[in-house]
Amino acid sequence: MENAGNEVVFKKETVAKLLARSFKEDKTKVSSDAVMLVAEMLKVFVEEATRRAVKQADSEDCDTVDIEHFEKILPQLVSFMFMHVLDVSSFFL
Amino acid sequence: MDEDEAQKQRLKAAVHYTVGRLCQDIAADCEKQITKQTIAAIAETAFRQCDIFAKDLEAFASEKHCTLSIPSQYNYIQQKSEELALNNQELKEKRKKNAAKRKSKDMEAEEENELED
Repeated sequence: MENAGNEVVFKKETVAKLLARSFKEDKTKVSSDAVMLVAEMLKVFVEEATRRAVKQADSEDCDTVDIEHFEKILPQLVSFMFMHVLDVSSFFL
Repeated sequence: MDEDEAQKQRLKAAVHYTVGRLCQDIAADCEKQITKQTIAAIAETAFRQCDIFAKDLEAFASEKHCTLSIPSQYNYIQQKSEELALNNQELKEKRKKNAAKRKSKDMEAEEENELED
């Protein structure tokens, strides 16, 4: 999971298998670049989710990030990711 | 448990592992603890998010009748993230200004009422 820089990333094989499971058509293929991009987007999603939950916990003077903090920030996070997908997808249209 | 379900559980576990490490790193960075329950919830949401990405991307690919192939778009995403962050910042400041305006308007109205009395 770590590369030379000690960075935590989603493994390409994992992401590729996840995507393949979700495709409706058997013939849909995905390039290596696209897999890397989705891996990056997933990482952005997780980092945003965590940072926003931390901020929420902070605003409530909590030292521990609880599931309630995550639930509170989830709606805005989802719309944030939706906009990201729209932006990325504009390359295809 | 059939093969498909078994693969699903393996993939979920893999996602959970990476999510856990990302969450712990960020929490430690911010000098906070994060509960296992929260990490599990984020992992579950990320797993579902991937399903959404896949279906959206497949829909776009079929529109253009091509294989999804993306030259390096990382700079674009980074740029968009920065724009979004800036936009959020501007919105926050706008809201603060409006709140302050409303507050001063309310105070003026109160003062006027007091004078009238």
